Amino acid sequence: MKSTRARCLLLACGNTLRGDDGIGPWLADWAEERFADEPGLHVISRQQWTPELAADLAEASAVLFVDCSTSSQAGSVELIEVHPAQRTEGVGTHQVSAAELLGLAQELYGSPPRKALLLTIGAGSTELSEEFSQAVLDTIPLACEQLQSAVEKMLACC
Amino acid sequence: MSQTITIDPVTRLEGHGKVTIQLNDQGEVTDAHFHVTQVRGFERFSEGRPFYEMPSLMARICGICPVSHLIASAKACEAIMSVRIPHTAAQLRRMLNLAQMVQSHALSFFYLSSPDLILGMEADPKVRNILGVAAAKPELGRAGIGLRRFGQHIIELLGNKRIHPGWVVPGGVTEPLAQAKRDEILAMIPEAYANLGLGIGWYKQVAENFKPEIDVFANFPSLYMGLINEDESIEFTDGALRLIDAQGNTIDEGITASKYNEVIGEAVEPYSYTKFAYYKPLGYPDGSYRVGPLARLNIVKSMGTPKAEKELAEFKQLANGPVESSFYYHHARLVEMLYGIEKIEQILSDPLILDKHVRATAGVNRLEGSGQAEAPRGTLNHHYRVDENGKMTWANLVIATGQNNNAMNKGVAQAAKHYIKDGKFSEGILNRVEAVVRTFDPCLSCSTHAYGQMPLILTLVSSQGEVVDQVVRG
Repeated sequence: MKSTRARCLLLACGNTLRGDDGIGPWLADWAEERFADEPGLHVISRQQWTPELAADLAEASAVLFVDCSTSSQAGSVELIEVHPAQRTEGVGTHQVSAAELLGLAQELYGSPPRKALLLTIGAGSTELSEEFSQAVLDTIPLACEQLQSAVEKMLACC
Repeated sequence: MSQTITIDPVTRLEGHGKVTIQLNDQGEVTDAHFHVTQVRGFERFSEGRPFYEMPSLMARICGICPVSHLIASAKACEAIMSVRIPHTAAQLRRMLNLAQMVQSHALSFFYLSSPDLILGMEADPKVRNILGVAAAKPELGRAGIGLRRFGQHIIELLGNKRIHPGWVVPGGVTEPLAQAKRDEILAMIPEAYANLGLGIGWYKQVAENFKPEIDVFANFPSLYMGLINEDESIEFTDGALRLIDAQGNTIDEGITASKYNEVIGEAVEPYSYTKFAYYKPLGYPDGSYRVGPLARLNIVKSMGTPKAEKELAEFKQLANGPVESSFYYHHARLVEMLYGIEKIEQILSDPLILDKHVRATAGVNRLEGSGQAEAPRGTLNHHYRVDENGKMTWANLVIATGQNNNAMNKGVAQAAKHYIKDGKFSEGILNRVEAVVRTFDPCLSCSTHAYGQMPLILTLVSSQGEVVDQVVRG
């Protein structure tokens, strides 16, 4: 199996056919280009986070989750720390949260990343579309700045 | 007072379904049904599309087994084109289908059913999930994840996408296998064997603890059907179908994709959107049969690979004739995963596997074509008609879940009659009824997937429509 062997893992989530839900994959592409010469960063982009990704987490020193948020104000950018979830009812096989993934990495491999952050961008619309809403378009520079800063700090400390 | 128990939705399945159980005035189970509550509609909206678009359109039916739809669809297109695909393309498709089988079986066994097997049918639903498995048996959780990643990564390497790869096309595949990819797959094989060895070893230790479930989990005589090679070994991508009876006697074989529609009919019941396939000479419902891992192991004489061959011999010892309990779908899945890993290793040693000739081309040479393959859950048949310009005029898909539909319904009724007495039931009983359906690993919606977050409500309704009892989960 191809090993991640990353100091920093960027794990994005979203569907590029559902409007602002595609901001996660968009930022993943941006990061891949921005950090093209940085071997310590590994980028994975998925439509859903699934339990298999726990193995990638276990091999990373730090992880930055990137996703849109339907509960935040459209266009807002938030960066928060994430901690491993305890065993919870209703954890799925087709979609798990950042905290549940960290919990799985801890239970299965005993080695979750030392640092885990979640970067969310408030969604204006997740209806069928390949375009972002104006609120998300306006916030892309800020999101990129926050992402770059977070990755650089993780690479420096881990 | 007669009552109806409803389990809606049934959890830890691919898609959405519900179970209803009818009780008589004495609280005894009189009947039970497994309802598939979604409409697919793919046959209808493919009408008018160019036939060569069909594989990529049909792959969208399912996020778990898109490869089987790709292959059955491409083969139906090739029947329309009247072409025979190059040897290397056939081998590459076979490997892709086996990789999908391994990852899908790993999902079914380790993610969906192992919570019941590890934690128990009566365990707290809060821990009966993959996190619960990770806490109780982390080595099994890691093995399941490893096998899922093994299959998914091969699909990604071959098809350039983990889900819905567009690599399989009418006439073959779009690009040959690169040596670096072959070497990468070969390097993953030892870990896959180790992970599966853990799973098989653990299953054999605990299986007999489930003797009560084995006895009543769809444990009855039936027909069985699956693809088989001329040497009577198991096959997933080519070969022809064999049908055996409850005693193990072959009642039909050499059923090619084009003959399939002559011998297999589809009945409709008012309580489900999924049709009920049956063997036409025996009529419906007598001609109902089972497909999938249990059926495949029952119809074959050999696995064709040494490690799986030993496991097949052990599996055949479970019964004097076909193995009847659907609980043993779990066991059969493990044997098939072992076969899949071995066969992938064999295919990669084919001296022509890196050959560049991987696609045949042709236009419309026939106005009708069928293709069949084994999906993880059982036989899959695609049947198309086109006009002279290659525009689709009609399509029919017979999926594995429809072919197991009658057996799933009988199985649900058998378990319900055994466990529900005097109209009383518990969450553990509810879970056992669901677990019968899970043994078949049905794929209901073939598009939307979720479990666990959904509420599960079991309701007792009187003959006057009053709710007399209810268990709510989630």
